[in-house]
Amino acid sequence: MTDSREREVTQAFVSLASHLANGYDVVDLLNDLTVDCARLLDIASAGLLLADGRGVLHVMAASSERTRQLEVFQLQRAEGPCRDCFLERAAVSVPELVAESARWPQFVPAALEAGFASVHALPMRFRDSVLGVLGLFGTTVGALRPEDLTLGQALADVASVALVQDTAATDRTAVNEQLQTALTSRVVLEQAKGVLAQRGELDMPQAFVVLRQFARDHNLRLTKVAQEIVSRALSAEAVLEHARAKSQSRS
Amino acid sequence: MSGIDRLRAELGAAMAGAASALDAANSLCHACVDLLEVDGASISLMDHGSSRGTFGSSNELSRRLDSLQYTFGEGPCLDAVRDGRPVLATDLSDPSEQRWPAFRDAMLESGVCAVFALPVAVASSYVGALDLFRSRRGHLTDEALAGGLLAAELAALPLLDLMTADLDWDGVAQGDSGWEHLASLERVEVYQATGMIMGATGMGPSEALVRLRAHAYARGETASEVAWAVVERRLLLDADDWSPQP
Repeated sequence: MTDSREREVTQAFVSLASHLANGYDVVDLLNDLTVDCARLLDIASAGLLLADGRGVLHVMAASSERTRQLEVFQLQRAEGPCRDCFLERAAVSVPELVAESARWPQFVPAALEAGFASVHALPMRFRDSVLGVLGLFGTTVGALRPEDLTLGQALADVASVALVQDTAATDRTAVNEQLQTALTSRVVLEQAKGVLAQRGELDMPQAFVVLRQFARDHNLRLTKVAQEIVSRALSAEAVLEHARAKSQSRS
Repeated sequence: MSGIDRLRAELGAAMAGAASALDAANSLCHACVDLLEVDGASISLMDHGSSRGTFGSSNELSRRLDSLQYTFGEGPCLDAVRDGRPVLATDLSDPSEQRWPAFRDAMLESGVCAVFALPVAVASSYVGALDLFRSRRGHLTDEALAGGLLAAELAALPLLDLMTADLDWDGVAQGDSGWEHLASLERVEVYQATGMIMGATGMGPSEALVRLRAHAYARGETASEVAWAVVERRLLLDADDWSPQP
């Protein structure tokens, strides 16, 4: 590990630990975690898929807010390395996607179309169960280095801890309730991005940046801001205006 | 197949071949009585203007009991929708059960000792509830409760249809299992497009999803196809057909 990478990894874990200790918004934290993955590991894009109470995988967080990239993650509800990882409860490495089109006839063409060439799927373990999957997507063919896989698994485990906030929650019903709350927060975030995209003529990644900027500058949780935009307790114009003022003051 | 897998499959198939949204809701309620150790079931819709009320039941008594909550202005189903979480009353005859006195007395007179109200969500907002009635007091088994929560997820489908005033029932994909139908709406692009319709029209999330679906049915497209067209701005949102119903 080079010195600068070691420093980056340390910073990422210090930041995650600080959020876990001091209260956090689960959607925000998991988004940061996927961005950390994309930066620290030799991959282009990372996504977290979370299983609901009936074992269906949903997109929980991703390093890119581009809708087409979210779609590649979402597709794995039906088939793909992340789904197999969840069902088999073990890591799935696909160093060369193009060689696997018979195994996943729908997923592989979509992933190739989005520019991906390799995938590594790591289980989000929690005690004796698997809550979801961390998917690491590369734009080049090849396996991840062992140290990258180890680091990726550590980040996947941090994600599990963050999701099951109350680690005293022993029974599966309480854990499921936490996961469902997190998934609903993600739905509301997508709806709020849609509202901002429409009102501000933005694309989805821009809408996400505007929303998160507003939350951070006002010391509010991302989920709370998204909920208030959707319920119209907070006007989309106020959020868009804040972003405009901010960009003017920068220029 | 484990017990819960069997319940999931049977509940998912319960609404296939229904002749209308109301028929689908009734079928789901009948399946609850058959599968979940309860004596009655009903589905109600709230927060949708004048069309709030009970819209599906396993029998006349369940329908009447459910509707009483609107008459009295109190009841577990109203609480479940307001708080967005299940409300379980395991013994209405217990003197310490004081949450809904008028509703409780009416239930006991009809021989119902336990009621389980499970909220139903559409596009992340709670729009109704599935109520399960039982003459015997006590908790549901874990499996019956898990099955009830599955049924409450499925109940979103007939409620969505009931919220669609101009629904052409022939266009609804009745051959699909309920789970496939739900999965077709649980998609990132559908959530985003719902948000864009909200931004363009001022509707709430459930109403915006209703309009998106109605648009898809009218064109013989899937919700996902319409959602992509909205997100990629191939389908503009200022057209009249996105406006709220008169």
